Amino acid sequence: METLFALLIGLLIGTGVFLLLSRSIVRVVLGLSFITYGGNLAILTVAGLREDAPPLLTLRGPYADPLPQALILTAIVIGFATTALVLTVALRAYQVAGHDDVEAFGDSLARDPDAQLDMAADPEHQGPDRPDPAEAQVFVLAAVPRVRLPEDGP
Amino acid sequence: MTLAVFLPFLLAALCAGLGPRLGRRTGYVAALAFVPALLLAGPLSAMPGAVPALEVTRWVPTLDLALAFRGDGFSLLFAVLVGVIGTLASLYAVAYLSERERFGRFYSYLLLFGGSMLGLVLSDNLIALFGFWELTSVTSFLLIGLWHTRSAARDGAVKAFLVSALGGLGLLAAVAMIGIAGGSTSLSGLNLEALRASPLFTPALLLVLLAAFTKSAQLPFHLWLPTAMEAPTPVSAFLHSATMVKAGVVLVAKFGLLFGSSPLWGGIIVPVGLATLVWGAWIALRQTDLKALLAYSTVSQLGLLMSLYGLADAEGNFAATAHLLNHAAFKAALFFVVGIIDHETGTREIPLLGGLRKALPLTFAAALLASLSMAGVPPLGGFISKELFYEAMLHQGPVFIAVAVLGSALTFAYSFRLLRVFWGPRRHPAGVQPHEAPPGLLLPAGLLTLGALAFGLLPGSVEALTRTAQNALDFATYTSHLSLWHGVTPALLATLLTWGLGAVLIWQAGRVAILGRRLTPRVNANTVYYALTEGVNVLSSRLIARTQGLALPDQLRLMLGAAALIAGYAVWRAPQVFHPIGTPPLALLPVAALLVAGAVGVLLARSRLTAVVVTGLTGFGSAAAFLGLRAPDLALTQLLVEAVTVILYLLAFRYLPRGGDLPRARWRLRLDLLLAASMGLGATLLVLAGVRFLAPPISPYYLENSYELAGGRNVVNVLLVDFRGFDTLGEIVVVGTVALAVLALVRLGKGGRPRPEASAPPPSPETPPAPPRIKEET
Repeated sequence: METLFALLIGLLIGTGVFLLLSRSIVRVVLGLSFITYGGNLAILTVAGLREDAPPLLTLRGPYADPLPQALILTAIVIGFATTALVLTVALRAYQVAGHDDVEAFGDSLARDPDAQLDMAADPEHQGPDRPDPAEAQVFVLAAVPRVRLPEDGP
Repeated sequence: MTLAVFLPFLLAALCAGLGPRLGRRTGYVAALAFVPALLLAGPLSAMPGAVPALEVTRWVPTLDLALAFRGDGFSLLFAVLVGVIGTLASLYAVAYLSERERFGRFYSYLLLFGGSMLGLVLSDNLIALFGFWELTSVTSFLLIGLWHTRSAARDGAVKAFLVSALGGLGLLAAVAMIGIAGGSTSLSGLNLEALRASPLFTPALLLVLLAAFTKSAQLPFHLWLPTAMEAPTPVSAFLHSATMVKAGVVLVAKFGLLFGSSPLWGGIIVPVGLATLVWGAWIALRQTDLKALLAYSTVSQLGLLMSLYGLADAEGNFAATAHLLNHAAFKAALFFVVGIIDHETGTREIPLLGGLRKALPLTFAAALLASLSMAGVPPLGGFISKELFYEAMLHQGPVFIAVAVLGSALTFAYSFRLLRVFWGPRRHPAGVQPHEAPPGLLLPAGLLTLGALAFGLLPGSVEALTRTAQNALDFATYTSHLSLWHGVTPALLATLLTWGLGAVLIWQAGRVAILGRRLTPRVNANTVYYALTEGVNVLSSRLIARTQGLALPDQLRLMLGAAALIAGYAVWRAPQVFHPIGTPPLALLPVAALLVAGAVGVLLARSRLTAVVVTGLTGFGSAAAFLGLRAPDLALTQLLVEAVTVILYLLAFRYLPRGGDLPRARWRLRLDLLLAASMGLGATLLVLAGVRFLAPPISPYYLENSYELAGGRNVVNVLLVDFRGFDTLGEIVVVGTVALAVLALVRLGKGGRPRPEASAPPPSPETPPAPPRIKEET
């Protein structure tokens, strides 16, 4: 039984990872759901699967292990919360950017062909002051394009 | 001893608070911190015969970590030295620092440094030794960077820290190896035979040397010491004469008993030390800044000490300990003198100064005596220790003595160069009228100079002090005695040769300067250092741009790829862990089919809606699995969540664009399939391995106590609300926070419109649009 579930978990996680790498936001969110399913089943399986009675003391034992069940219960609810949040962020991202292509949401610096070769990746958080300003010429940052989100109307 | 180590730490906290109120007088409080260290002179005076005291404070017994302080002759001698220089530096700083200095900060750093230095020399536990070693690195970083508004100070502090931290890492590894091989973390409890026979012996030796060389500024790690000059002068005196830089020397002296048997030990240390002696002296001769001259002179003198302790025999240890004392006396005195000159004239540049003899007669006297001691002129302490150095090198061979003479001749020359500011026509920056320094500045310099003089005139005094370390450093059998005159010996001839060479160097100073300029290599340790740090900066910038700057899927691909590689290595190393377990139950096969159908379906689904519905299939499938696995609560929750999730998706679809999945580039598709497959395989293997290594569950406890303690018969519920109630509270907080965040985002979205430039027709599967580049908006 454990082997069967191990294979199922592998399938679910693999599917989740494939969806996670999609370009469309909705599929990324679906990928997260699949990883959640796989993870939940994995917690249960690793603790050892039992076909005994559920952990209800009104029934006659022996009982299945209650601890992983409690953990998964929390995980299901948190997984739902994550899905809701990511979905809303996706919605918002679409409203701002006008598309739902995750691959287009890159850092502008990495994709900017005009960027200087040795430019700091994060112009706003440079290292501590250089000992000699002449040596710091490498880090000329005047031409760094900055991503700005448009101001939304009320 | 424990008190001596900890009082500076306690008073450091006190000084930090008192600083703003007491102002410069905080220095008097700070000086008190070294009183217990000075009192160690009591046990020290009984030392050659007395048994070393051991004070052990248990700290983390499970790690075999104790604060063990061992007062053998050498440790006590050094501790007293730290105490003396520390006290003098604290008092000197009272008169030296300007009224605007932040005294609280200054004195607490100084005391923290002094305390860690005392801990370092007295510590008997290897791990604690390493801790104190690192503390000296950190506190010296703070001290050097005290005037952090100056970029040179920051640069010096960072450089010192980077270099000595490199050695610190080496020491950490070495301490671990010594502890494993020697069977103890106590320095005095090590099993020396086992250590010497261990294969870890040579790596540990090399790592100890790395630590000692970086801390004691040996070639090629000497670059940090001169830039450490940016610290205030009292700090420089403390750092360079007695303590921080000598930590490496102490390490070599102490570990010489462990590693000295290996030919590698002396074979590496002695040449490196001699090279540092000559090179440091050569550069010192060319400095125009008095303090820089002293800094390179320290580098050079440390090379001398290193080469002597590196011999790891009785003669070397005796000579080195004697020179350690002499050097501390004259070098600290010279730093104090240079501080006075700087204080009175406002500059330290040799060409700008001259004829200060008349204005500063007492300072001149101190400078003269200390410099002559440094130059090795009788009847001063430096002469005696130089004779010992020559004797030791004579026994090593002609090459060694030749290098030693060359180094000492250079030392002789730069000592006189230092004195030049006192001779000749009167010269100093306009607008200042140099006059004799206040007693607060003169006294520490004078006392140390008197020490240097006493060491020379009364060789018995330095001999007695040196002899206190004879048992600790194993030179009790060495019978030679210190004296100013011991007949016409080869060492004396070498000294005469040194003086001759030195006089030539002074006489031909102009030509030497030209030669020096011509010989200056274009690549030196500093340029290498800057190239390295620059390279690391550029490398990290590029790395960040190439990895963190990517779009989300590409970043994920990188991370998953790395995870797959690491996990793949683990699987390759331990294949026997993973093997099938259990028998497939018939009752659960339909459930499994449901799960598979969902997973396969979502991969094949064209439209979004189908994908969501098929995902629901898997969701309900896992609810069914929970039911089959006797987890009714889970099944119920999963069902509810599935239903709500589908509603959520449908809500979201109202606002999201139509259309199916966007096509991926072919190489990305292949890569994704590979990654997904390896992650799936990894998950399967992980579960199989997890089942195998499962520890006995703690669940029986919950089953037994659920009713007795919590009064509930549904154990899962009891777990959630009673046994793991805080978990559930956290879960509620998460859900509540998410609800707020969702609300905020939805509210924001009300007025949100697609941006004009991107409101082109929505992306369709046929014509994948180029991702719109985000342009700068002005």
